[in-house]
Amino acid sequence: MNPLAEIEQGIESLLAQPPYDVEPEEHHRLLLALLKKELDYACERNPRFRNYVENWPVDFRPAENIADLPYLPVRVFKANPPLALVGAEDVKRTLTSSATTGQMPSRVVLDAATARRMTKGVITIIRDFVGPSRRPYLVVDTPENMKGQAELGARGAAIQALGSFATEVVSCLLPSENGDGILDLEKLLACAEKWKDSDVLVYGFTYVIWTQLVQQLQRRGITLSMPNVRVLHSGGWKRLEQQAVTRDAFVRGVAAVFGCSPDRILDYYGMVENVGVVYPDCAHGNKHVPCFGEVIVRDPLTLAPVAAGQRGLIQVCSALPTSFPGFLLLTEDIAEVIGYDQCPCGRRGTSFRFAGRAPKAEVRGCGNLERTRYQQVEGSGVR
Amino acid sequence: MSDMIQVVDSPQTITHAAKRIREIALQKEITPEVVLGVFDRWAAALADLELHDVPGMSFLRLWLRRGNLEPILLRELGPSSLQGGWRQDGRARLRAFPLGVVGHWPAGNVEIQPVLSMTCALLGGNGCLVRVPSGLVEITRRVMDKLQQADREGTVTERIFIGAFDHSRMDLQEAMARAVDGAMIWGSAEAVSQVRSLPFPHWARVAVFGPRLSAAAMDAATWGDRTQRSSWCQRIARDVWQFDQQACSSPQTLFLERSAGCAPAEFAEDLKKAFQEENRQHPRAEIEPALASAICTARASWLLDDVGNRALFPATPDWTVLLGTGAEMPDPTQGRTLTVLVVDDLMDVISRFDGTLQTLGLGISDARKEEMLAQAAGRHGVDRIVKLGRMHVFGSPWDGTELIRPLVRFVRHVLSQD
Repeated sequence: MNPLAEIEQGIESLLAQPPYDVEPEEHHRLLLALLKKELDYACERNPRFRNYVENWPVDFRPAENIADLPYLPVRVFKANPPLALVGAEDVKRTLTSSATTGQMPSRVVLDAATARRMTKGVITIIRDFVGPSRRPYLVVDTPENMKGQAELGARGAAIQALGSFATEVVSCLLPSENGDGILDLEKLLACAEKWKDSDVLVYGFTYVIWTQLVQQLQRRGITLSMPNVRVLHSGGWKRLEQQAVTRDAFVRGVAAVFGCSPDRILDYYGMVENVGVVYPDCAHGNKHVPCFGEVIVRDPLTLAPVAAGQRGLIQVCSALPTSFPGFLLLTEDIAEVIGYDQCPCGRRGTSFRFAGRAPKAEVRGCGNLERTRYQQVEGSGVR
Repeated sequence: MSDMIQVVDSPQTITHAAKRIREIALQKEITPEVVLGVFDRWAAALADLELHDVPGMSFLRLWLRRGNLEPILLRELGPSSLQGGWRQDGRARLRAFPLGVVGHWPAGNVEIQPVLSMTCALLGGNGCLVRVPSGLVEITRRVMDKLQQADREGTVTERIFIGAFDHSRMDLQEAMARAVDGAMIWGSAEAVSQVRSLPFPHWARVAVFGPRLSAAAMDAATWGDRTQRSSWCQRIARDVWQFDQQACSSPQTLFLERSAGCAPAEFAEDLKKAFQEENRQHPRAEIEPALASAICTARASWLLDDVGNRALFPATPDWTVLLGTGAEMPDPTQGRTLTVLVVDDLMDVISRFDGTLQTLGLGISDARKEEMLAQAAGRHGVDRIVKLGRMHVFGSPWDGTELIRPLVRFVRHVLSQD
């Protein structure tokens, strides 16, 4: 069997399992072996990546821990052309992170197989949280962000990934100049009336839901009476924190306008570079890692994994991509490890809580000339 | 002994302090000779073991000694300046007078900088208003306690007000700027720009130091000499480690002249050993997550950009050597990340400097070659050319500017009887 076929078989085998039921030691064993094969494959496919791995301080092949494998900082995907393991002719889609003006977005390339696995990975995870049934899908975004394009942004990717749960899809925002959209109230009220007692899936970026839906409805004193919605949101809190909106206030606000219980609002963490993996909050407020991925939280001082209860930089791992070397990625986000197993919700493996973006390094030295000259403004946490 | 650092919360505190200091300066002249005496005693008091952990302390003690400062004063202010007298200048006479009150905005990355900055103004007979960055309050307090011990009569101490307040308090920053006749501003582009935009009086003289970058260079004979190489590597490691490579005098890039007889990878291995040893002696106590992340990104980007590039680094973010070729200074990462670039001709490197480079640390075996490199470096904006291992040694001039002279006024007196 050729190496890629062997890897694909390993990925399919992991994807076939219930995502949070694999016993941690077995999960580690399976994932470590698969990631090593993927690293070998990536080295063979991309000489630049091989150069990185060959200069890594230790050989990954005898490694006994996933934490010892060579990881890439997520910022390397801000390069153009993007780091790839497939030829341009095999690229089916390029995903881009959202970025503020002047900032280079991350770009990752997907071939057909990786794109398929991305969808499957997200469905497997979300199904574990909202159930398998198909239902009406209300997208708190503009129709433009729902189109399948060759180059797809973070919002579009998140919207499309949930499409498999939909019996019908409606977007409730109209295009606007700033890209955030404007509420199409008539359309929203029509959906609310039509679907009022149904199970409905709602998705939007966190700040878009707040500014374009919740605040607009609150201003007009409108409640939707949709008690059976499941509202999924992602994209970071920074813009809401700037408006002094706490998570609790957000959940209460969203629940109030939909007329649902607060436990039907589900925040998840994810990024385009970590294809096929998202991290929703469980009922105990913790995020979990599916069996085809792992999260390692590293102490910034040593870059070693932290103990439960400690914070550090998040490294995400995913066995799913074979079109780009996104298996082991050090992010610029901070998390606290809650435990390495036994969350009361019953999901196995690592549980953690997101704690925000790493604050920008303080520019304070008299030698900071180039960094201040070239430093690009960091984004809002929306990836 | 009273606390010399005051937490400031109102602009009036700063205004009153400036008024008091200005009155003292007007009523009681102080000669450089008297200041030198106090500084000499201060240097002795700083020998206390309890201060050995303060980065840069041994240098501060050397700086404060009469033997170091007297020649600087004589060069910058002229003969007879120590006693504060007049000196003849043709048919006129000249004398240095203080500007009045000098405000100090030191950078947050050099522990002894608030004190170094202040000493320059005090030697000119000025009073000092100092904003001490939050991270340096405790260290500055310990150093100033020793000044109080050395200056029992308060001759120098009474001319100093040190305030601690957050840099975002624009009302306090503005009050400080309005109250001064001169300023010494140190730090990054962002910090310097912010301070320069404060409402200084139109007569205020402002001396700005930073932001700048520094680099190092070695000729083939020096780095190729295996008997001396570890010693040179230790010197480079020392320059990289001090101030966590955030100072304007920190080397970010080392240029190696191509050698026929020795492989750069061999040199990099020796550098690695020196970095490991320096790290063993001076490990980091903490790191900002963003810096750890930037170090990881620098390593990866370097190796992904060019398959010919090499890198040496541990699993920790403690240090990094990036090895490649090229005459252009790459963007610095800091955090003990040294880019080592092999070039055919060091003159090619120097001819590309554009005035952002402050210090060039050199390891050159041939004096004639060094002379040529120094000439070229001077022409291309470099302000300091020193031996490797001495890149941070503070002295006058700094950034091409004298340290005391800009903080005094030379009064010219033409006698009316003539």
